[in-house]
Amino acid sequence: MSFIRKYIEQQTINRRNLLLMSAYGLCGAAVTSAIRPHAARAASSDTQIAWSYRDRTNPYWNAIVSGGNAFVQSLGKPESALINLINQGSSEKSLADIQSLLSRYGSNVALAVDPNDMPNCRPVVEAVSKAQAYASTIWNKTDDLHPWDFGDHYVSHMTWSDVGPSEQTARVLFEAMGGKGGVVHLGGISSNNPAIERLAGFRNALKAYPNIELLAVQAADWDTQKANQVMSGFLTRYDDAIKGVHCASDTMAYGVIEALRAEGIENMPIVSYDGNPQAVDLVTKGKILATVFTNPYWAGGITASLAYYAATGVFKPSAEPKEHREFYGPTTLVTTKDARDFKAKYIDTNPKYDWKNFWALSGGQIQYK
Amino acid sequence: MNRFLAMETLRKWVPLLVLAGLCLFFTAMNPHFLTPRNFARIAISSSPVLMVAIGVTFVILMGSIDLSMEGTVAVCAVLFALTLNALGGSIAGWGWVAIPVALFVGAVMGAVNGLVHVRLRIPSFMASLSLGFVGIGLSLLITGGDRILIDDPLFRSLLTVRVGGFPLMMYAALACLLVAWFIQDHTTTGRNFYAVGGGEDLARASGLNVGRLRIIGFVLAGMFYALGAIFAVARLGIAETETGRNFMFMSITSVVVGGTALRGGEGGVWNTLIGVLIVNVIGNGMVVIGLADYFQDGVLGLLVITAVWLSTDRRSLSFVK
Repeated sequence: MSFIRKYIEQQTINRRNLLLMSAYGLCGAAVTSAIRPHAARAASSDTQIAWSYRDRTNPYWNAIVSGGNAFVQSLGKPESALINLINQGSSEKSLADIQSLLSRYGSNVALAVDPNDMPNCRPVVEAVSKAQAYASTIWNKTDDLHPWDFGDHYVSHMTWSDVGPSEQTARVLFEAMGGKGGVVHLGGISSNNPAIERLAGFRNALKAYPNIELLAVQAADWDTQKANQVMSGFLTRYDDAIKGVHCASDTMAYGVIEALRAEGIENMPIVSYDGNPQAVDLVTKGKILATVFTNPYWAGGITASLAYYAATGVFKPSAEPKEHREFYGPTTLVTTKDARDFKAKYIDTNPKYDWKNFWALSGGQIQYK
Repeated sequence: MNRFLAMETLRKWVPLLVLAGLCLFFTAMNPHFLTPRNFARIAISSSPVLMVAIGVTFVILMGSIDLSMEGTVAVCAVLFALTLNALGGSIAGWGWVAIPVALFVGAVMGAVNGLVHVRLRIPSFMASLSLGFVGIGLSLLITGGDRILIDDPLFRSLLTVRVGGFPLMMYAALACLLVAWFIQDHTTTGRNFYAVGGGEDLARASGLNVGRLRIIGFVLAGMFYALGAIFAVARLGIAETETGRNFMFMSITSVVVGGTALRGGEGGVWNTLIGVLIVNVIGNGMVVIGLADYFQDGVLGLLVITAVWLSTDRRSLSFVK
């Protein structure tokens, strides 16, 4: 397998060259702009805005980035002013990219970041803090890590509590089933926090409906194809006993709908989560009864905005109360009744947000169990 | 000698016995497993992966490996869907052009793969793995991360219309399997795959243009990946970068479990059919008997190792690499 080793070494060298070359190029650009006659600008306009996230194959992260783009445009900058750092699901890459960014721009960085997994959050915010730059995080953070322990440089953390909304979708489902019959749950990757919370919400709702029988809970890893296969298996195992399906994400619901369509079953009650455009469309058609919208567009914009305005001194994070440093993001239940209005308002167009009204959609301070 | 021959014959049938054994086991655990409706479900999940596995069978028969299927399937699926939607959205109209377009794209990607491998003398493992990443990047570039929906009822009839209880998709896949079998057994190219896989030096010394044959092998593989992409889109009605996901593990595992040797020159597309069925029966069966999901991946791995161990005669191998 020596060629693999050679390949990896080669790639490391290539990567290093690329970084050096891009650094060289950027320095060149900086020098050129510095010697231009109209170089005098306010210090704040030099702040580089960056978003670090997982990938672009997912509608969720696409929406996050379009929010980030909308924010930089609100500053009169082009979309290209937003630096995209894509970690491809690797915490090592996430940290390495951020360190490269910091060594290039130093304290002139406003970073919005999902650190990929919880343990990676600490090294990321420590690196940012050491460089005297500013960072706002979403989703992944350990419970013992708090923005206020880092003064001003760790600006804020936003996450979403999925237990309540997931319980709401389950209730919509159980009502549609007439309060009785068998139900199955398709969950995300078992160790993911959202998967755990969405299952917990589903179980909470079950307590109030004694005639609903929980047939099975199975992880389908947020994956459409896997969900399709799992649902086919369920149909063999339980046959007509299944009267409703609770999915922990929209992407899995699509697989479930197709597995049912293959059998000629068209009107099975299904609920999902995430509020992706395709899912909202299916809610308007009644194919999915409810989904939950977490407004990734707003989250993408406001997280970048918090880091940017802290970096430019518009507000002082350490002077803010704790509920402004750690807060829940918005969650909206979308049902067949309001899906059409919702689609017009949030999916077909994006509402114009005031990116300086940082906590407009906050769901309150994060509570730890 | 006779005993040895008997063992050889038996070993040939091991994959089929493994498949029968698995079916018996799952039926014993849950009688619902052995119903025509469940077999139709297994047929649906097997059809796309069967196409991809047949494609890679040709490459493996030559003793090479192709790991580019996830990228190729993603690009073909996305371009197929875009073309279909751009040409009116129905294969009843001009949309049918999308099918040859997808096959052409698959062939081109296979050709690039083969050329990089043969002309630049890069091991097929690395060339195809890297080009797979290029494919994923390309499909991401085309779609911008979005999903493309296919609503054409005629195209989706591959999934929704049933003949004799089984979806049209299965019959289409079987037809493609027959074509693959014809190429393998009744064309010079097919027989040359075995010649190169069995002993490349000998084939070269006999005047065979091995480089050209390898490129043909990759082109053929690419076209079957495109068929896999079309079935995958028919199954879910969605084309996206993720459409290619998991095909690498599923197809390579199926080929090996079916009894085709990774060193080349042994096995064929019928073995691949059995292999695909084994892997999909395991996947379906584990859900049907209600195995806890944290066990499923581990059990799949163990069953695959067992199947491979049973279907290859270790004594005939001088070394394993």
